[in-house]
Amino acid sequence: MKAYFISYENLSNLFSVISNAYQLFVPVKINEKRYITPYQPGTGYTIGEVRTVEPLKAFFFPGRTIVALNYEDSLPDVKKKPYCIAGVKACDLYGCDILDRVFRSEDYTDPFYKQAREETLIISSDCTMAIDTCYCTVFGRNPYPESGYDLNLSPLAKGYLCETGSEKGKNIIEKNSSFFEESDDALLIERSKQREKVKASVEELVNRNTIPDSSEFNGIIERNYNAGIWQDEAKKCVECGACNTICPTCHCFLLYDQKKEETTARFRTWDSCLLKNFARVAGGSNPRASRWMRLRNRFEKKFDYFPAVFNEYACTGCGRCISACPAKIDIRTVLKRLVEHV
Amino acid sequence: MYKSSNPYRPVETEVIDVITETPAIKTFRLQPSEPFHFDAGQFIEFTVPGIGEAPFTPSSNPAEKDRIEITVMKVGRVTGFIHQLKKGDRVGLRGPFGTKYPIDTFKGKQVLIVGGGCGFAPLRSLIYEFFNRLSEFEKVVFRGGCKTPSDFLYRKEIESWKNKGDIDVRLTVDNGDDNWKENVGVVTTILDNSMNIDCPSAIAVVCGPPIMMKFSTKRLLELGFRESNLYLSMEKNMSCGIGKCGHCRVGTFYACKDGPVFSYDKLKNFHTIWE
Repeated sequence: MKAYFISYENLSNLFSVISNAYQLFVPVKINEKRYITPYQPGTGYTIGEVRTVEPLKAFFFPGRTIVALNYEDSLPDVKKKPYCIAGVKACDLYGCDILDRVFRSEDYTDPFYKQAREETLIISSDCTMAIDTCYCTVFGRNPYPESGYDLNLSPLAKGYLCETGSEKGKNIIEKNSSFFEESDDALLIERSKQREKVKASVEELVNRNTIPDSSEFNGIIERNYNAGIWQDEAKKCVECGACNTICPTCHCFLLYDQKKEETTARFRTWDSCLLKNFARVAGGSNPRASRWMRLRNRFEKKFDYFPAVFNEYACTGCGRCISACPAKIDIRTVLKRLVEHV
Repeated sequence: MYKSSNPYRPVETEVIDVITETPAIKTFRLQPSEPFHFDAGQFIEFTVPGIGEAPFTPSSNPAEKDRIEITVMKVGRVTGFIHQLKKGDRVGLRGPFGTKYPIDTFKGKQVLIVGGGCGFAPLRSLIYEFFNRLSEFEKVVFRGGCKTPSDFLYRKEIESWKNKGDIDVRLTVDNGDDNWKENVGVVTTILDNSMNIDCPSAIAVVCGPPIMMKFSTKRLLELGFRESNLYLSMEKNMSCGIGKCGHCRVGTFYACKDGPVFSYDKLKNFHTIWE
């Protein structure tokens, strides 16, 4: 993979060019938090730092969308231009990888997800810091992107080191070559020093918060299936579903129909397995009638189903569910309790 | 495999007849506007336009190419609206989804079919399939149970199966009445020597409410049926039909795409399969 240098100023120039063909979104920092925001020329953005408040999934799998109109096979594409999302962090790229396994599986592909994934341009970036809820290194992953991007930016002292990860990314650089310069070894050294520093700070947080390594996660759900941990942790749960909606790997959805005059629309909205009737059948039987069973189910899906079926844990270590939970249920604490309980 | 490029789109379908089976159960005869073929065991999603959809396993003969029947018990919101449908109404169908009964692998064998209550609906389509090719199997035995005699689906039809003599039929009810001449007791009470089956080599297909499947499975294993020869239909909250929406997960499977028909050996180590 060839690396280039792009100055701060030229990145803004590149963004202006990209905005002609794409709806560009960038992370914007407000009160120490970063939000995915439509790009406005002349206003600031934060490419490096750390993940945004929202996960990336809404771009490919919107919170609420129409998936069928009457009996017609195709739907009008309401989007004027495809999306380009800049400043995407490694944890969110991993989240996309997990969602790809669900929505782009070989047996059945979701056409809406597939199209959105294929047409979206992803410009990722290294994390240049960690926040308390970060724990991506627990899964042996790094706080800088290694795959799944079209272009990756590593913020450095004088600009960015830019790497291509796809043909689409390569084309962007070729068409806008005047914004890019050749990189040199000094920049690569600067980058690897920074990457190591950030990785060390995530590892330090993991140590400080005493989170076990994922090598200890094998079988923790089955071993603790009837443990009191679930009832204990679920006591505080208010069943809001925030952990699901904020999670970059949660993919469950609800289909529901609405009729307006002669038009019938089928909507798909995010659903939450913490909600009482998620698995209930029409006859009234509910395999997860108690809240603690639903909390257990969330962990079972991520730490038992996904490794069994896809050989991966469906957790990115982004820590969003920790920040989002009004009851302060902490996934790190639950994992620790599961590992330690014999 | 799903044919439409949009898996969430229903195929426009006309209700061509409505048959009242019991006070709570109706059968709807449907004519899809596009070719629509299913195999016994697979399920479809039935759409009431603007209201929603619900999963059903068809109860008609899979060999019938342009018609399909579903038998629906009124238990919730969508089924309530389905029960209001009349001849000529337009509805939607998606699917078929999931696994079929692997009937080709039953060739030359003795096959026991055990039904409970509403489970008669999918089993009727399987029995039609057997009638289509009866000579290929050594023997077909049907054992069915319901709560009371008035709860039986397809009562006349079952009598005709009995009279034909091609399949060995016995029925039971939990609570009989003055006219009931057959067995009284839960369905496991007629899973006995009267079947005259070589259990270790025979196939069993069980469909009914979870509690009935649980105890039937236990009984059949006691009789010597092999776990891998015992086929169960999982009733879960199937919605998307393609393993995406997450509602019907059973262990490492989704009932909608890896099931709804599973052999017991695949399920036995999972929790909550009977709930």
